[in-house]
Parts: sequence; structure tokens; C-alpha cells
Amino acid sequence: MFPKAGGHRPPALPLQGDDVPPLSISHSLGIRMNPQMMPGMSVAPDFSLFTMAIYMAFGLMAIVLGATLLGTLTLPLFFATTFALEGVLLLFQRSGFLAIRVALMMFRSLRRNILRTSLTYVALFVFTFVLTLIYSIVAFLQSVQEEKQQDVKVIMTEKFQVPSQMPPRYTGDLIAVMKKELPLESQPKNFEDDVMTWGFVGGSLDPVNKTLENSLFMFAMEPHSLLTMMDDLGQKDMPGADYEKFQTAVQQLQQDKRNILVGKDKLATMGKSVGEEVKIYSMNYKDIVLECKIVGTFPDGRYNGSAVMRLDYLIAKLDDYKVQKGSVHPLAERCTNLVWVRLPNKQAYEQLAAIVNEPGKFNSPAVKMETASAGIGSFLDAYKDILFAVKYILMPSLAVIMALVVSITMTIAIRERRTEMAVLKVLGFPPRSVFWMIFGEGVLIGFLSGLICTWFVFGVVQVLFPGGIKFPIAFFGTFKLDWRILWLGPLLGAVAAALGTFMPAWNGCKVKASEVFSQVA
Amino acid sequence: MAIVEVRNLYKSFSRGAEKIDVLMDLNLDVHEGEFISLMGPSGSGKTTLLNLIAGLDSPTEGSIVIGDQEISAMSESELARWRTRNVGFVFQFYNLLPVLTAYENVELPMLLLPMTGAERKKQVLNALELVGLGDRLTHRPGQLSGGQCQRVGIARAIVTDPTIVVADEPTGALDSKSADTAMSLLELLRSELGKTIIMVTHDPKAAERAQRTVHLDKGRIPANEMARQKATRVL
Repeated sequence: MFPKAGGHRPPALPLQGDDVPPLSISHSLGIRMNPQMMPGMSVAPDFSLFTMAIYMAFGLMAIVLGATLLGTLTLPLFFATTFALEGVLLLFQRSGFLAIRVALMMFRSLRRNILRTSLTYVALFVFTFVLTLIYSIVAFLQSVQEEKQQDVKVIMTEKFQVPSQMPPRYTGDLIAVMKKELPLESQPKNFEDDVMTWGFVGGSLDPVNKTLENSLFMFAMEPHSLLTMMDDLGQKDMPGADYEKFQTAVQQLQQDKRNILVGKDKLATMGKSVGEEVKIYSMNYKDIVLECKIVGTFPDGRYNGSAVMRLDYLIAKLDDYKVQKGSVHPLAERCTNLVWVRLPNKQAYEQLAAIVNEPGKFNSPAVKMETASAGIGSFLDAYKDILFAVKYILMPSLAVIMALVVSITMTIAIRERRTEMAVLKVLGFPPRSVFWMIFGEGVLIGFLSGLICTWFVFGVVQVLFPGGIKFPIAFFGTFKLDWRILWLGPLLGAVAAALGTFMPAWNGCKVKASEVFSQVA
Repeated sequence: MAIVEVRNLYKSFSRGAEKIDVLMDLNLDVHEGEFISLMGPSGSGKTTLLNLIAGLDSPTEGSIVIGDQEISAMSESELARWRTRNVGFVFQFYNLLPVLTAYENVELPMLLLPMTGAERKKQVLNALELVGLGDRLTHRPGQLSGGQCQRVGIARAIVTDPTIVVADEPTGALDSKSADTAMSLLELLRSELGKTIIMVTHDPKAAERAQRTVHLDKGRIPANEMARQKATRVL
């Protein structure tokens, strides 16, 4: 749930001095605040659609270049595979089946012009790579939006205001409501473990010169929730030794309310280490200075850039403010940004949502319950046009380009081999044999490029990132390549190649022998 | 007995609105076991006639009977099947498949016939032995000389034991020594195996090796040539 990456367009934030610096929706949902956008710093640059398009174009270019390199590196594997398959066919060569001889000719034709075959392979490799990557991302986004039926995580947010800024008592109120009004079977199994509060605190180590390096964004929360409610921080998510180490860090966090945990990358950028004490000048909680001690870090992965402090320390500091200043801090009653609850099933969520919605409960401000997936869905709503374009314009366009590349290559190849095709026809080969020889050649390259691309990439990713790629995009969990690409890739390659080869193969099998020989003569 | 009977043959092509008559009212008989050469200037219709006799094309008018089959009435697929069994082709530029070995090139037409592997192997080896390339079975065309390629081409033409062998400028791309070898082989096919051979050539030396030379001019066999043919037939 600790996100790291930026990329979402946060609403413009007021500069330092505003009483109530609002947090963006991305913050409400857990995107780490971009320090450049933080109050007290320079005016936030406008993250326009144009900028996003530029980023996407460069990203796509980088992917294409990477895939081209990878495709080139796997060329020996491609040719080795064709040799191996040809070897198998050779075992049956003497059977005299026409199909086997045609298939053998097909394999040998691949080596006729190695450069052209290689280029076709690399081109198909790149297209399959890009397409399956996009597919994986789209499938991943769909999966995170799928409603779970059991162990449903739900969020309480403000109904009419984004970002949510709820009073700290709301967590207790929600627990009380659940205990009182939810049927026993619909209640969280353990209120202690299954409820978590998030408050967002942005701060800097330097009260004046605030930079990316000396700023950090912290989640103010109940320490024990780190082990029970956070994604990818459970016992099953990491090796035993790592989990024990993290448990110790959480215990340290529980020992003193000033203690904090900071991710490894963040520690490095701040130039701090575990055991050091730091003064954090809050950027969104005006005049709040936190005196913290770094007591631990997170397991390597998606939390490397995150930090956690104790919620009770934040509340205590807000209380101190009242004592010192004689007035309540403007955010004292708005320091709860999200409340998470784990419910046994979807039905329990629906019951709780109905209760929370009842008049008289949670009136000021009014709140709503939504599932995490629905929350993500709402977040992705902002990107629905982009996702639509990716799914229905970019992906089909790439498939068409893929087919065109094969088509052009095969057309050139056939033009060079018209005489050979005519010879086959002269010798009595039926047009369908000629057709299959050309068609099969294209489909074979397409199939193998798709197969090698997806299996190779999938294999490498599995070896390098056994638990998935832990790059924290917003509130998304670990990114795993969809296993379906293992069959989708070869299929995609074969289908695109089939589409691209059909017409050249058709023209090839329609070569008129007499015309070819007249031209030769 | 004529194994090839060409009667009142017309062949014309269209180029846009223009109609080009390539063969006009052509009659020709070729006897079984005969070796004839077709000569004539470029554009006289030699190759077109050869293509028609070999079943690669269909006439505009007239009939062609090979053995007891009228091929001019056959569909394209029927012609394809017929060619496999009845016609062997020798081309000017050999037209061997570069990805196949000499053995595989010769075996190619046999894959279309219902034969066992052993039968096929025997015939391929016989054909290659006949042309003197029994020691070049695994060589690819790129590894053979022009003359050797043409000999592979001849082996491929005879491997299915066809009724007729058609050769289009078989010596056109060869040096004189290789050309001589190729012509000797064709003569051998006629004399030893009794094959009927129809050869198109520009080379008078090659034509001399045939038993009979038919001259074509502007799509016709000239009147004096016809008379000579008749006389030959009477004799």
C-alpha cells in the first residue's frame, strides 16, 4: 500500500502558509507525494497531457530499444531452435511424406537469407515484447480492480471531499459501529489486527532549504498494522530471516512513539542511517516539528522509498501545539486520511457500507466505505481514456504493423523465389504445397519469435524477481508478468505472421510456371 | 507411331487490348523414342510450343495429344498430376532448389508418386549414377559446377520415368565441354532408355545431335519444313 512512483497528476497544491494544505487524491489513495509539489517549495509544474505523452513516447522508445537488443541477443537461440526442429524432421525424412519434405524445405529456406530472417525475427520479437508487456500491464490493472469475495479490504474515505481529512476519532467510531451493528460473522476477525489508520505527513530535514533529498513522506499509523494490514509485508511475502528482521524493526517502532522506520533508498538519499535521530519539519502540518529516531528499515523492495511514523506521536504533537499556542491546530481534527478495515467477505462490506451511510452516523464530515479495488478503479478512471487507447488503438495498431512487417518481408522473399515456386509447380507440386511452404515459413518465424520472446523474458523475470517486480506504482502491489503471455506470445506472433504471410503465400502459389519460364528464356 | 500429336494449334496472348498471336495453325508429330530439336529466331514461339506440349499452359485453339491423352482438354490440377508422371523437364538454368542436396532435388518429383522409400531411393541413385553424379549425393547446387547442375537437372527429369523429356535450351548456360556432356546424356536417354525428347535450342551444334530439327518462324512451321516432316513420316 505504500506507493512510490509519481506519474499521477496531483491537483495544484497551495504554497506554504495555507492553513489547510490539502493532500491530493493520489495521497489519499497512497501515492507518495512528489516533493516538488509540496507546500513550501517551488510552484508545482503542470503535469500536462503533453508532458505525459512525451514521457510515454520516451518510455516506449526505451522499451523498443531494449526489446531490440534482447531480440538480437536471442538470435542464436532462434537459429538453434530451428536447427533442432529440423533435426527432428530429418529423422522422419525417409518416410517420404510430402508434408515433411515441404516442412524441411521451409526450415532450410529460413537460412537462405540469414540477414532477412534475422531482421524479421527481431522485428516480430520486438512487437511481441511490446504487445505482451502492454497486455501484462492491462491484465495487472484489471486484476487489481477485481473484487475479492473473501478477506475484503475496505477503505473509509470522505464522501464529498477529496482528499479525505477525517477526525482521528473516526477510527474508534468505526470500530464501535462494527462491534455494535455488524452481525458477528461479518465483523473483522480481530479488531486489533484488521483495522489500520493512515495519516499522511510530509516533512523535510531542513526547515528552509527543502530539497528532494532532505524531504520525506511518512505514513502515520498504528505500528502493529505494518505486520497485519500492509501488502507484501506479511510472513508469506518474504524469506523467514527478512521477516524476523522486520518484526524486530516493528518492535522497535512500538517501543517509543518517536521512533520511525525509513526505507533504504530514502535513508540513502537523506544521508542518514538507522540509529540516527532526526528533526522533521512538517510541510503539511504547519508548525509541527517531529523529533524522531530512525530505528529500522523495510525489507528490500517496494517500501525502499517510504517511511512510517506512529499515529499517536502525530496526535501528541498536535495536542502539544494546542498547549503551546493556545488554539487547536487547523489539522488536528483532520489528520486521519484513510481508515482500512479487513472484513471476512464482500457481504460484510456491503452491510458496513450501508451502516456507515445511515443518517446520523459519521456526519461531519460524511464518509463512505469502498473496497480497495473500487478505490483503485476510481483512481484509474482518470486514466480510462489512455487505457482505452492502449487497449483498442495501440495494441491493434502494433498487431497490424507486425503483420505488415512480415508481409513485406515475405513478399520480397517470394519475389526472389518465384522461379523456384514455378519449378515446384512444373514438377507437379499442388499449389497448396507451395502455399504451405511459404505460409509455414512466415508462421514459423512468428511463432518462434513469440515463443522465445515471452518464454525467455518470463524466465528471466522469474529468476531475477522470484516474487514479482516490486516497483511500487501507487497502491498497486507487486507486478507480476501474466503467465498467460506464455501462450499468448507464440499465438500472437503466429497469428500476426499468418496474417502477414497469407497474401504473399497466396500470390506465390498462384505463380504461373509458363510465364516464369518465358521470362527466364 | 506418334507419341506427340499437335493439331491446328493456336496460342495467343493479350497485352491490354492488343492480341498477340504466338502460334498459328501449328501441326507437329513426334514419334516415340524420337529426339527432336525446335529452332527458330527469338519470338518464333519455340518455348511457347514446348510449354504447351509439357502441359504448362493451355492452347487457345487446337489439340495436343500425348500418348493417348488429350492434354489440351485438361484442367490445371489434372495437368499438374499428369506432368508428374509423364513429363521430365530440363531447364536452361537448371532450376534446382538451392536449399536441397543433389539427392533431394532429384527425389523431389518422386515425392508426389505412391512409392516406398526404398523404391524411391533406388530410382534416385540410378538416375544420379546414370548422369555420373553418384558421388555428389549430398552436394547442394552451390557446391556443384554448371555442368554438374545440369546433369542433376537431367537426372531429375528422368527419375520418374516420364513419357517425354522436354528441354529448354539445355546447353544455353554451359561451356562447350559441359554442353557436350549434357547432349551426350540426352542422346543416351533416347538410345538406351527410349525416351522421347523435345528440345528447344539456339545452338546449331546441339540441334545437330537431335534426330530431327523443326524450324519455327513467326509461330508457324514453314511450308517447306512441313513437307520435309511429311517426307520423314512417310520414310
